[in-house]
Amino acid sequence: MDGTAVASPGDRGTGAAVRGRSRRPPWQAFLWIAPALAAIGVVYGYSVYRLLIEATHRDGKSVGLGNLRIAIDDPFFRQALGNNLRLLLTLPIIIGIALVVAVLLFEGMRGWRFHRVAVFIPYMLPVTVVGVLFGELLTLHGALNTTLQTLHLNFLVQDWLGNPDWALRSLAGVIIWRELGFGVILFLARLLSLPQNVFDAARVDGAGWFRTHWHVTLPLMRSIIGFYLVIEAITLMSWVFSYVFVMTGGGPGQATQVTETYIYQNAFASDIPWLAAAAATLLLIGVTAVAALFLVVRWGYSRRRAA
Amino acid sequence: MTRLLTTTGRRFAAAALIMLAASACGSSSGGGSSGGGSSAAPSGPVTLTMWYWGNQEAHGLSSFLATSVSKYEALHPNIKINTVLQSTDNLMPNFAAAAKAKKGPDIEYRWGGIWALQDAWDGNLAPISDYIPAAERAHYLNSSEDTWDGKLWSAPWYVQPSFPILYRKDVLARAGIAAAPTTWSQLLSDCSTLRAKGITPIAGGVKDGWFGGWLFSILGSESLTSVDELKQAVVGTKKFTDPDLAEWWTRLGQMISAKCWNDDIGSLDLYQAQQTWVDGKSAMTVTAGTDVRKFVTQVGASKVGVMTMPKYASGVGAGKLGSTSQTLAISSWSPYKQQSADFIMFMHTPAELALFYKDTGALPADNRFDPALIDVPQVKQLYDYSQNGSPYLENFIPTDLDSKANFGGVQLMFAGKATAAQAAATMESDMARIRTIEPDLIDNFKKWTGQQ
Amino acid sequence: MIVERAGRLVRQLVLIAFTLSALLPVYVMLSGSLRTQSDFLNHPLGLPTSPRLNAYHTAINNHFPQWLLNSLILTIASVVITLVFASLAAWGLSRWQFVGRDVLLSLVISLMVIPPVVLVVPLFLLGAELNLIDTRRIVIAIYVGLMMPFSVYMLAAYFRTIPRSLIEAAEIDGATSLQVFLRVVVPLSGAPLITLAVVNALWVWNELLIALVFLQSENSLTLMAGLTGFQSRYNLNIPVVMAGLSIATLPIFALYIFGQRFFMRGLVAGAIKGG
Repeated sequence: MDGTAVASPGDRGTGAAVRGRSRRPPWQAFLWIAPALAAIGVVYGYSVYRLLIEATHRDGKSVGLGNLRIAIDDPFFRQALGNNLRLLLTLPIIIGIALVVAVLLFEGMRGWRFHRVAVFIPYMLPVTVVGVLFGELLTLHGALNTTLQTLHLNFLVQDWLGNPDWALRSLAGVIIWRELGFGVILFLARLLSLPQNVFDAARVDGAGWFRTHWHVTLPLMRSIIGFYLVIEAITLMSWVFSYVFVMTGGGPGQATQVTETYIYQNAFASDIPWLAAAAATLLLIGVTAVAALFLVVRWGYSRRRAA
Repeated sequence: MTRLLTTTGRRFAAAALIMLAASACGSSSGGGSSGGGSSAAPSGPVTLTMWYWGNQEAHGLSSFLATSVSKYEALHPNIKINTVLQSTDNLMPNFAAAAKAKKGPDIEYRWGGIWALQDAWDGNLAPISDYIPAAERAHYLNSSEDTWDGKLWSAPWYVQPSFPILYRKDVLARAGIAAAPTTWSQLLSDCSTLRAKGITPIAGGVKDGWFGGWLFSILGSESLTSVDELKQAVVGTKKFTDPDLAEWWTRLGQMISAKCWNDDIGSLDLYQAQQTWVDGKSAMTVTAGTDVRKFVTQVGASKVGVMTMPKYASGVGAGKLGSTSQTLAISSWSPYKQQSADFIMFMHTPAELALFYKDTGALPADNRFDPALIDVPQVKQLYDYSQNGSPYLENFIPTDLDSKANFGGVQLMFAGKATAAQAAATMESDMARIRTIEPDLIDNFKKWTGQQ
Repeated sequence: MIVERAGRLVRQLVLIAFTLSALLPVYVMLSGSLRTQSDFLNHPLGLPTSPRLNAYHTAINNHFPQWLLNSLILTIASVVITLVFASLAAWGLSRWQFVGRDVLLSLVISLMVIPPVVLVVPLFLLGAELNLIDTRRIVIAIYVGLMMPFSVYMLAAYFRTIPRSLIEAAEIDGATSLQVFLRVVVPLSGAPLITLAVVNALWVWNELLIALVFLQSENSLTLMAGLTGFQSRYNLNIPVVMAGLSIATLPIFALYIFGQRFFMRGLVAGAIKGG
């Protein structure tokens, strides 16, 4: 996905270091590529091939799309998928906060260097560490609630991970807490690369802080926001296993079950590998569709710009 | 190769992938067929791997095993035994993974009943009765729940009286309660009395789920006339919403309404919660029978009483503890099945049985164990209970049903997000789901329980 | 003017609030590891007035050194192999222009969106058939494969920016393509190679799912897989859990101090893989 950020349209023209020598792929090129291709071939190629076999067979017999249908009909799978979608709702929050913090840092608030490092620290922690840590902090008599009580904010006290209505939100909160730093750094880098006179002009106009950024900064950041949006969307759809596995194991009830834990549990706890394979196939189709949609939209966007 | 390279890039990539996949397939089937070696008795050095669990509920099990293994290795210099303690959360996934890999332990720990047999049905266990003589097996306790198709599949190791309530006489006395509750209405009223004094009546933790299965077994057995009702509900000739099968949810709801449980039950793990009882924060808690000596020692023998769940009905489990044994099985892929069985039998010799109790405080699942060795009155009480126990329900339902309906349902009930009726209905629909998804499991279950 | 100053004050406070919320949990982790259980439970935000290292002793006596070693071995081995394979492939893709090259490259890039959980079941079956479960070899192989698309992509993008004149000059001197690669391309690519190493190292260090599935015996676990079981075993002793978390985090902070420049760039680039 890095294509959007680093290798944007520009690098197409520069081409290879040495180009135009031969239209035929020289056998040498294959030798150079072979080791990497072998690794990719086994881990991705063979796996996807084998996955499709497992997803369409049961006890060695082909069942066509039967397994997929069972997975789609399975209320637990639907619940898990629904939770992934609900997690997507946090996207505007992450992006909004990251933008505000990035702009504040950019404006050189007092001690901004320190703040920049501080805001980035959560992103340096391994997800497992974050999960275990918040698992302890968010218990009913844990550090968060104890602190809230000391501050006489008792109405905010919650059984953060034990209450099914709150568990997914708490999980989302922890994800935001960790992922925020990345967005801030990304946005800050973009802000620093913008021509400064844009802001000066707006300030001379006498526009307020909010209006300046809404009308001037935000449009200039569109592409980087889009990039971050896609990354976080993919994260929330298919990279939250560690958070859920460590913090709630999918509970209470099925309140925080996600597709990844559903696949893992069916494969290794419930011991129904074909159901796990079927769900994995559906997830694969889903992320491929999202990525393809993104590419199509981007392609259309760049063509419109070129036109 | 060169011809391939002259095709277009796309086809080139696709072809390369397919070739890789094909070669991987070839090598994989080769590896698979060479895997199933024979098990001729070797006279050379033998290394047995044993995966176990239980130090969590029978503190000291690890040190017992260390001693017992070193004794055994001294007696049999050609045998080496590696023991690996598994964590609670990774136990079932690790076994499932090992079974798929046909690699891992020779000797593996199993909870009783269906927890062992599901693996036997999947072909992961060797019939242990082929390696342990009948005369020896006759001494093992509760082996009937691990028997299927005329064979024993996992050998009882130690008894798990399931599950006693421990109460603190000193804490009850603080609330002016002279005797521990024995009937349901006493229990509920004692809950109110304790609450009024600011004392948590019973400590539990459901975050990791397991306690849901305990509550199902403890409360659910009181209203069943026999465990057959439960088996019928599994195969579909009865329903989990039928009064006998659903009443326990209602009773759990009554306990919740009477504020019998700690407020943070949803955010604590099972063992975490028990510790709060030791710290004197609650009057009662439910523990593993195997853990009782540890808790009694921690709190002081004079302060602790042990009892069964107060009765609300007079069914098969009312006023009793579930009788089940934690077991040791032999992997179907182990090349050293007889050697594994020999070590298991070694742990049933009198000296080892005595050592087992001494180190763990848990009762070995063997009628040759001398009860005179029991040094704590509360454990003696458990021993007496276990002489006249009832079937332990959790061992008679598919494990997937347990972890979905019981673990999840109990969590939701405690969070106030499901009523008793809803929880029962969910259990029934979860069971219907399993019957659709895993018909083989149900077929084996029928064979096992004779519910054809 | 007053409005503007008030606005600035509010913004400063907002920033401080975010900084605090980012730092407090980390502070609780570090200070909790140095205090007693009861002290922690009563005042979770309190200072470690009389710091104790008992929790670290307990953690270290519990497989932690072994897990640390396992994580290091897996990280170093898979990162080095990935770097070698990826730079070879990236050079192969940059040096020779051939039909379908861009298709191949974009095919490889598109693999980045596939989450590992999708691959776990088939890879596990394969590993089982090859009798490789619970070995470092298979975990390294999987990590190498998973990191490869991004690594090839990133290096190929960089290699294309190497001025053509440098390469042609070397070729005129009669250098083979291997010599060009070793004497011109690699020396010029120090920064991207280090950045890539950092990205990949962080990813492997933090990876949980593959480690959980493929490594089973206590002695072969990585730090992250070990921590999940460690948590359930020590949830009665919060300082020990916090000490374990701190130990798992320290190598990352060390990496940060050693190479802040590459680290920042690496983390930003690394997220692109979804890690």
